[in-house]
Amino acid sequence: MMFRVPRSAFRVLAALWRLNLAEELQYRANFVASVLGTVFWIVTALLTLAVFFSHTTRLGGWDYWEVVVLLGVFNALTGVIEAVLRPGIGRLAGEVRSGGLDLVLAKPVDPQGFVSFRRLDIWRLTDVVLGLALAGYALHRLGRTPSLAQLAAFALALASAAVVVYALWVVLMSLAFWFVSVENLSVLFDAVYEGARYPVSAYPDALRFLFVYLIPIAWTTTIPASALTGRLGPEIGVVAALVAGVAFALARLVWRAALKRYTGASG
Amino acid sequence: MIRRYVALIRNAWLVDLQYRASIVLWLLWGVTEPAVALGIWWAIAGDGQVAGYARADFARYFFALMLVNQLTIAWDSWYLDGWIREGELNFRLARPLHPAHEAVAENIAYKARTAGMILVVWLVVSLVWPAVRLPLAPGRWALTAAAVLLAAAMRFFISFTTGLLAFWTTRATAIMELHAGVSLFLSGRLAPLALLPPAVAGVAALSWFPYMLAFPVELLTGAAHGPAVVQGFAGQLVWLGVWIAAYHVTWTRGLRKFGAVGG
Repeated sequence: MMFRVPRSAFRVLAALWRLNLAEELQYRANFVASVLGTVFWIVTALLTLAVFFSHTTRLGGWDYWEVVVLLGVFNALTGVIEAVLRPGIGRLAGEVRSGGLDLVLAKPVDPQGFVSFRRLDIWRLTDVVLGLALAGYALHRLGRTPSLAQLAAFALALASAAVVVYALWVVLMSLAFWFVSVENLSVLFDAVYEGARYPVSAYPDALRFLFVYLIPIAWTTTIPASALTGRLGPEIGVVAALVAGVAFALARLVWRAALKRYTGASG
Repeated sequence: MIRRYVALIRNAWLVDLQYRASIVLWLLWGVTEPAVALGIWWAIAGDGQVAGYARADFARYFFALMLVNQLTIAWDSWYLDGWIREGELNFRLARPLHPAHEAVAENIAYKARTAGMILVVWLVVSLVWPAVRLPLAPGRWALTAAAVLLAAAMRFFISFTTGLLAFWTTRATAIMELHAGVSLFLSGRLAPLALLPPAVAGVAALSWFPYMLAFPVELLTGAAHGPAVVQGFAGQLVWLGVWIAAYHVTWTRGLRKFGAVGG
């Protein structure tokens, strides 16, 4: 019963996003600003790597272009976060505080689904395109052509990564029900996600354990990038999908426990 | 004036008290970047040295950076941008006190709390991890306190002035992000300046960036000594003067423009 999605949910979603699209198309200059912002971010990240690699030839066993592949994956996921998660579920903490969530709960839809996907900042989806392009270019510089199995594993691992990132957002945002006076919970995600910019093998053992098993950000960038470069075999895609499934189920449980604590505030 | 400031700081402190969890989150956010950088340099240094920096040196550098960054951070451009765009500045201008004083008071209250937390954590960590212990050097600490004060003042004026650009553009915060991006390299947030390519370090030396963070940090860790200390303070004073002047120009011109619009 946990994963059953009624067909009406898709109709609601389509309607929401259509409205959203119409609204966003009024602000086309934002598209240019968004692309410029992303390019600036990518250049900054590449220069950061250049500084590191001016003193070493490998980072956690990865060479320069391998880390750039990872950076591309990181940027693509950032696009998903900025386009879908932050505008939607990122607002939750404020709504729990103000009682605005009452209006969401009164709607005849699944609140988690509605809260998560109600808003779309479409311009930030360019980050996904630019990120994947960067990963592709780095792969070319590595002189590797991925096999069909590797590409499939990458696609699966990347989709799983998006699910893991989503699960992290749901769990973190659910904390708002316990700590009502917190409005900046998304900052906690940014802090954690900062660690995903580099391969987990570069970190000390304790941190690596943390990132693989407890706060699973290793599954967001390191694993998809490894699947693409062939550092890990194609079967990792299946493992990633399993991890994503577990993460999603856990997040759903936390969300339900959190929602029980909500008493409303708008009276 | 002192009585006013005491009242303002007390007020800001009490407001912060309601948002303790929020403040801890901002603090956490502030320390992850240096923590990740430390993790990477730790891996690169291994058992050897990078340009004279061994693992323990990196640990001390980035712990000092966390503290100095927290003590000097300024977020006023984001506030000002909102105040100007949404007109809240009107209310603030109507008060019998320049809006900057309130911002300074909030700044002091917030930093007293957060820097205190970092100091406590640093002390606890240093009990179990000798690498981050600093040699007892009260004279050097006093100098660092002065450098931190100058750096905090400079960052405040940079942030405030950039926020005032909202009088003319809707992208004032984007300019601040750009400044933050450049400062990642030039102010020493990513690596000690000695580890940057000489050309980049050369550009940094001509800008205000190293005086925001790198100089006070290296003063605290002991990496800066002799003439570098004198030169550092001189640079801080010069650039602080420049930014105060920039603030005066933007404030007076911007306010004239604002008045014209709101008239």
